[in-house]
Amino acid sequence: MKINSYILAILFILPAHFVYSQPELNKRDKYTLLTMPYNMRPLTVYRGQVQLDAGYKFAIRTHKYDSEGKSLFLNKTGTGSVYHYYYVDLKYGLTDFIELGAQTNYIRHGVRSESETYVTASLTAADRVTVNKINEVKGFGDILISATARLPIQYKWFDFSATGGMYVPSAEYRQEKPAHAVANITTANSYTVNLHYKYTNGFGVPVYLLASQAKFTLRKYSLQTELTFRTPANEGTSIRWEENLVEKKFIYYDKSYKYLLSDEWDVNLSIHYQATGWFDIFINSNYRKTSGGWTEFWGNKYKNRETMLITLEPCFELQISPSLRVCQNAGFPIKGKNADAPFYLFTTIRFSNFPFFR
Amino acid sequence: MKKYAHIIRYSLVFTVLFLPAVICGQVEKQLTPADIKQQTIVTEPVTLKKGFLRAGTLMNYRIADKYFTDKGEKEYYTSNVWGSKSSYNFAFQYGISDRLEVEFATEYMNSRQESQTSEFIAATNTTRTVLLKQKGTGIGDSYLRIRYQIVPENRHRVSVTGNISVGIPTGEKNPTDIRSAEKYDLPVGSGNFTLAAGLYTRTIIYPYSFTGSVNYVYNFSGKKKFNVTDIVEKEFKPGNIIETSVGINLHLNEWIVFSNEINYQHKEKGTINDHYTPLMPLTWAVSYRPGLVFQVKKFRLGESVTIPVKGKNTPADPLYVVMVQYVF
Repeated sequence: MKINSYILAILFILPAHFVYSQPELNKRDKYTLLTMPYNMRPLTVYRGQVQLDAGYKFAIRTHKYDSEGKSLFLNKTGTGSVYHYYYVDLKYGLTDFIELGAQTNYIRHGVRSESETYVTASLTAADRVTVNKINEVKGFGDILISATARLPIQYKWFDFSATGGMYVPSAEYRQEKPAHAVANITTANSYTVNLHYKYTNGFGVPVYLLASQAKFTLRKYSLQTELTFRTPANEGTSIRWEENLVEKKFIYYDKSYKYLLSDEWDVNLSIHYQATGWFDIFINSNYRKTSGGWTEFWGNKYKNRETMLITLEPCFELQISPSLRVCQNAGFPIKGKNADAPFYLFTTIRFSNFPFFR
Repeated sequence: MKKYAHIIRYSLVFTVLFLPAVICGQVEKQLTPADIKQQTIVTEPVTLKKGFLRAGTLMNYRIADKYFTDKGEKEYYTSNVWGSKSSYNFAFQYGISDRLEVEFATEYMNSRQESQTSEFIAATNTTRTVLLKQKGTGIGDSYLRIRYQIVPENRHRVSVTGNISVGIPTGEKNPTDIRSAEKYDLPVGSGNFTLAAGLYTRTIIYPYSFTGSVNYVYNFSGKKKFNVTDIVEKEFKPGNIIETSVGINLHLNEWIVFSNEINYQHKEKGTINDHYTPLMPLTWAVSYRPGLVFQVKKFRLGESVTIPVKGKNTPADPLYVVMVQYVF
């Protein structure tokens, strides 16, 4: 009787074991999530996912737009320049609907002005003083700390997200002491003056960021829009270096000035085509506008110039391995006002993983 | 136990009989010509297989922005000259045998230099604008190269390949179309023959390949005009060059390779009319070149950036290279 009870108990328990031994379809298989094509991905990273972007932008500034939107070719006057822009962005999925992020950048950019030569002639000699000028911007930018929340639904064809963040003025924006030099001294009054002004990167004050994104997918085609607004938290104070040239040696002195950064609007609209699971090709259009703000010169506040730039960017995203993607885009300026108009190539290596999941 | 003795015996016989079959059953994969043509820069033979032809082009682009001084410091060019240089290199490689390859390469050059400066003349209280506009376009120099696998890689773990190349000065060496001291066409050729010899070694530990090379370039004397105002050509001899490189290439997947190379180049001083000249100083540079190479069947597309890390009297700007190749 006792044996029968045991057999009955086993027969009763075993089916339950078989029923529950079938594993649940593993929706959180990390390789599936890591290789998710763009047209099936939500706007934020998945829960537990870490995504690190490291990018490099090489920009050639051969022309700029003036206040009337007319294109001025800088290469013809020898005042064209190049940007080297490095970018790091770290994202972490707190949940499937909330993402935390931090990003910063490093820039190196030198802009030459038109060289000028001053000639004075006497009966016996001609004295020539040539002045070359370069403005260099170099250094790390401020760190942006942000949080993004998206709709708490599984992504099928529509998604919407909102981002809030702040640029922490970690770069401590401040003009560094210039490194002017006098060179090529041929006579007492014939020489070359090389003016070298040095600026650092960053805003110098906290800057708030508000953004929203929306994404629509129809089979292999997707449309993504993004609106970003940046505004300074308060006025900033910085210094401006000036100099006197005395007996071919520079004496520097700094003057403090106040400024209020302009507000900035950024609109992106991109159309994507998922050619295969590992290849997304898209075209992005970017509209950037700044307005408001002022800068103090000699005790007077002067309104910052309003700027506007429209850029067209053909891009692709390529899945190389489950945790590695390469993104590349080329930027072509189309229209603008009071803005530099660089052509650029931007390459990003994107590393993703779920460090806390097997 | 005795009862099962015959079973054990049969098992032993079967084991002895079938074991060689199992061992010999693993065969080396035979590569068809189509497979060979689709191999990546990691897995392809060091030299082309017999009868194979590879045609390719390299597009280089560089902007003059910074340079390494004679003290090794990186500085901006001070005057406002916009200089850009691009070249389109066309190369054809042919496998004479499985170990011997011949290559012919030539290039189309496109160099530009533009600037605008102002001159204020106090005596007359006038301003003069000086415009400088120079371009150099046309066929540049050409190269003929032979590569031979001294230590073939199908027999050894590490292969060693020797190469000899001749540089032929097919490009225009003098300034042409001279309209003024500021407006003329730049030369696109070096004006002298070169002879180079070197060794290249490689080992493959899939998915990696490790490479190393050393090359010596001997520059012969030549004659050319160095300034637009020169009436006669001057005899010159550029310094000889020694180049070494080490590299690691990694297969990110079956058809994408992440290439990495560190390169060192040292060039001796050059002479004009047997005298050392500041126009051809001693130069050296250490550069890093990362790149991505995509292999789509017989078609290969690559892009890389040469980043000068340290140097002396050399440009410090990145050089962008886009490569397209096809194996016939």
